[in-house]
Amino acid sequence: MIVQSIPPDGAIAPERVTVMQGQALVSAETGVELSTVLGSCVALCLFDPAARLGGMNHFLLAEPPRSACGARIDEAYGTYLMELLVNQMMAHGARKARLRAHLYGGANVNRTMMPIGTANAEFARGFVGREGIELVHADLGGTSARRVDFRPASGFVRCRSVEDRFAPQGLPIPRPAKAGGDVELF
Amino acid sequence: MTTATRILTVDDSPSMRALLNHALSAQGFDVAQADDGLAALDWLARNEADVVITDINMPRLDGFGLIERLREGSRHRHRSILVLTTESSDEKKARARAAGATGWIVKPFDAAKLVAAVRRVAH
Repeated sequence: MIVQSIPPDGAIAPERVTVMQGQALVSAETGVELSTVLGSCVALCLFDPAARLGGMNHFLLAEPPRSACGARIDEAYGTYLMELLVNQMMAHGARKARLRAHLYGGANVNRTMMPIGTANAEFARGFVGREGIELVHADLGGTSARRVDFRPASGFVRCRSVEDRFAPQGLPIPRPAKAGGDVELF
Repeated sequence: MTTATRILTVDDSPSMRALLNHALSAQGFDVAQADDGLAALDWLARNEADVVITDINMPRLDGFGLIERLREGSRHRHRSILVLTTESSDEKKARARAAGATGWIVKPFDAAKLVAAVRRVAH
């Protein structure tokens, strides 16, 4: 949860908080704007209009571990990253049934790479659909990088095309070694 | 003829249930699904499972409540219950252990490690 003190008159420019790859941030502060630049990466923006609460994540999934046969990307890790955002929203008062989703990114910016952006966009769409979350807007695919600015307290989103050089390198980060599904038997 | 080990997966996320179903079915397990603790109790009142794999954060009845309710009676007192969760705090792990969980697995799960754990606790 991002906590920020806002003057009573609220007459200030928003505090822009960058959502980095692998992060999920949630806020209900009217003075906060969550911001990210996406190439092949995908960002899910969630908003609960009753709780006036929003959150954004930013991810690019790598190939799956060898034990996950059949998948093109690490869907177990992606589902975990999505669940982190949903859980943070619910922990701060959102209800899953009220959530509205926006999806951005998934461009195939680097034409020489496999269409990793497409695979990530398909995963994100599939997740939102399976979870029964209302998809209000999706701007996915293509070949251009995007900049997304999201006001979590109002749900307002602005998405613009930007030059590819502003987007982070489209290299997926594999799941961290510490996030390896370790088992502890009691 | 041998009977496949039967696993009940309990998670409010259809995506997570689908992943678990895929990972476990591919290894020959018989997988049933419930979307929260109450649905799991309802299913277990009418069916048998060798292992229960449950999330913690769920509506209506969470994973802690499910474990406590299962351990209250005699029928499920010795049922293997694995917690599979995004939670990583020692306090919550201790709470699950005190409630009677058999083991603790932190998401994202690794299919091979999950299957090995299920094989160890299935009886």
